Amino acid sequence: MRAYLVTRILLIVPTLLGVASLVFVIMRVIPGDVALLILGGDSGQIDRAQLAAMHHRLGLDQPLPVQFGTWLAGVLRFDFGTSLWTGRPVIEELLIRLPLSLELAVLATMVAVLISIPLGMLAAVRQDTWIDYVVRVISIGGLAIPSFWAGILVILFLVVFFGWGPPLVYTPPWVDPWANFQQMVWPVLTVGYRYAAVTSRMTRSTLLEVLREDYIRTAWAKGLREGEIVIRHALKNAMLPVITLIGTEFAFLIGGLIVTETVFTLNGVGRFVVDAVAHRDYPVVQALVFVIAFGFVIVNLLIDLTYAWFDPRIRYRVIR
Amino acid sequence: MAARIRPHRTLFTVAALALLLASAALGTPPRVQAADTPRHGGILLAVIGAEPPSLDPHQEGTFANIQLVAPCYSTLLQFDPLNFSKIIGDVATEWKFAPDGRTYTFKIRPGIRFHDGSTLTAADVKASYDKIISPPPGVGSFRKSSFTAIERVEAPDPGTVVFKLKFASASLLANLASPWNAIFPKKYLDQDPNYFKTHVVGSGPFKFKSYTHGSTFEGERNPDYFVKDRPYLDGYRFFISTETSVRAAAIRSGRAYIEFRDLPGPEVEAIRKQLGDKIVVQQTPVSAHWGISVNNNLKPFNDIRVRKALTLGLDRYTASRVLYPLNGLKLIGGLMRPGSEWEMPEAELQKLPGFGKDIEKSRAEARRLLAEAGYPNGLKVILKNRNIKLPYQDFAVFVIQEWRKIGVEAEHRPLETAAWFADGRDTGNFELIVFPPVEFMDDPDLWLGIYTSRDSRNWGRFSDLRVDDLFARQARTLDPVERRKLAHEIERIVLENAYYLPGLWWTRNLVHWAKVKNYVAPPNYYSNQKLQDVWLAED
Repeated sequence: MRAYLVTRILLIVPTLLGVASLVFVIMRVIPGDVALLILGGDSGQIDRAQLAAMHHRLGLDQPLPVQFGTWLAGVLRFDFGTSLWTGRPVIEELLIRLPLSLELAVLATMVAVLISIPLGMLAAVRQDTWIDYVVRVISIGGLAIPSFWAGILVILFLVVFFGWGPPLVYTPPWVDPWANFQQMVWPVLTVGYRYAAVTSRMTRSTLLEVLREDYIRTAWAKGLREGEIVIRHALKNAMLPVITLIGTEFAFLIGGLIVTETVFTLNGVGRFVVDAVAHRDYPVVQALVFVIAFGFVIVNLLIDLTYAWFDPRIRYRVIR
Repeated sequence: MAARIRPHRTLFTVAALALLLASAALGTPPRVQAADTPRHGGILLAVIGAEPPSLDPHQEGTFANIQLVAPCYSTLLQFDPLNFSKIIGDVATEWKFAPDGRTYTFKIRPGIRFHDGSTLTAADVKASYDKIISPPPGVGSFRKSSFTAIERVEAPDPGTVVFKLKFASASLLANLASPWNAIFPKKYLDQDPNYFKTHVVGSGPFKFKSYTHGSTFEGERNPDYFVKDRPYLDGYRFFISTETSVRAAAIRSGRAYIEFRDLPGPEVEAIRKQLGDKIVVQQTPVSAHWGISVNNNLKPFNDIRVRKALTLGLDRYTASRVLYPLNGLKLIGGLMRPGSEWEMPEAELQKLPGFGKDIEKSRAEARRLLAEAGYPNGLKVILKNRNIKLPYQDFAVFVIQEWRKIGVEAEHRPLETAAWFADGRDTGNFELIVFPPVEFMDDPDLWLGIYTSRDSRNWGRFSDLRVDDLFARQARTLDPVERRKLAHEIERIVLENAYYLPGLWWTRNLVHWAKVKNYVAPPNYYSNQKLQDVWLAED
């Protein structure tokens, strides 16, 4: 187990290096030059000397390997550089947005888990009854309705019927829990609904598969109660793919809620990534992709480690 | 040095007449709510649809910059907040010019303090204009080309600024009233000419309070503001949201009181229906038009017949009816804003290709020209665009279906902003590209420079020496009648040769709660953003 864990942690390094290299190259291959954007604004006047001076100021006149090396050396010191647009340290910009994205991801995951597992179980246990049909309609609705559209509908509903809209600025829960609740409850429910739809369908289908296993038939034959069979014997085994899905979705939520963040005016990581790409803000894009990739790797590692708890037959070892 | 500096009577009369005509032609709205008794206090909550590329107004050209920072800055002159196109002083109390119109002298109001406590002097004005006119390497200047007439700026004493000109310039005063030309403290410019890209230190009615990228920008009342008893507000706060429906919902729910740029017609109607007389909508024309740059150096667009066919194939009259309810594109005009003093008369305009009212005749002529140019079976083209829906993409969709009627199949390629600039402005990597000139006023110096050789806004990269010559002549002509003639001649050349394909001129809906008082929307969304006279009837 320890050897496995050490190997997995060591493997994080080449993974992140690969991601960082890929993003570095992509950002420099796509059209658009941050120096031109900074100098030109919407349609300004630019001369070559100004452009060269701006490239020099931004360090973009250095050879690409030197730029990459400088950036990597900074990362090792937890210094992601300075945003080319805002002129502020990237880490500062990130710390403004990460708590919001983490809060949204954690709360949406909690909502999704609390809704989806019981619903998925109910639908599986009462397969082809009206309960199953209702759960299936709810989950298909969640899959079919894009979160941002649901978000716009929620806002319109509140505004049209109550003349009220959620606050436009994020307030951390430790500053003002009520203001935080007023703003976060709607995106959490919107995102959580879609997330729950995916998870409940997975719970239902994997549980149905497990409920048809021989050992479950044996449990029924032994005269165990339904609740004990489903929760103690079936659900635990059915949870492996569900846990994988929850973990992947959670990691995705940290960096991938661009449109939902836009609809609910949440200043999160997703919008920051898009803005940084549009501005060709290389240090910010590299740092964000690096952090999001790190989140993915860690979440995946944690998921893999939880497998053994759900299925004691799983053993961790390094294959040589 | 001119013999004796005194007001130039002819010039003054001409300028005054021009301003009078302009205010009549612009259809400036009446003085909204000006009669109410002002009340002190309150925070003005506003929504804005974009993030500023930087905070330095000298280096930017977007509303996302100027609407946020303008309340923190003063300018040498300004447009009257309640009567756009009338030029009044800001830090300058009085000014005069030499008989030959080549020396302008401004007296600076004494006792003005920057927000850091230092005193504003002529040296700060000079340093600010030096940066705009001759930026050091690595520093951008968006309006450098507006000041080609200026030879140098002098500050002979702390209370006097002198502009020495190479030639008399009809647009100088208006350019000096531009909201973008903020006066910065010299000491910060000496440290770093890019200092104001990330810092805000001015002498305006509000002091910078905070800025969170992607979220909010805030200013607070400047108690030492040089205009007595102003501003009325305790502060202002902008919420940044790129989503139109979110901004509209913010207004409807009262989370924000004003959107200074524009909201689409359907959203405005919904807001009106729900809030009734709690809401005021100021509809104004805008000095902005959406058109198409044609790459004149590329085959087959270097053939005038092909370019002419493309402009003849656009039914601008139907476009106005179809697009106006969707995105405010409404007014049909040439290269100067219809409704402004510089507009081309309708009868004259209708003689130019693409502006005739008989669209079937125009289409037949377009097909004939294409056949003559070697494309009897039509032509396939690529139309690049910015990936912003309103009004960029709606406009392109209309153009594409119009061109189909003359046998031109256009592939629509929306690009994200950086790639759009890279292909359009920087490299010329396009056949046809949607390009909207937008300005803060209607002067030909701003609007027609776009069509001269080597101007970086000339995305079509064409060169016509007649246009260059006429442009230089109009810039030096002080008689507005003569200047108008020269401007119209430039328009005729550009439109007859279809160097550029104008589409429609924009109109906008400025929506605000009725409790926001004393704000009069100008025909652009850049000026009148200082907010010094705005007040709130209630919190």
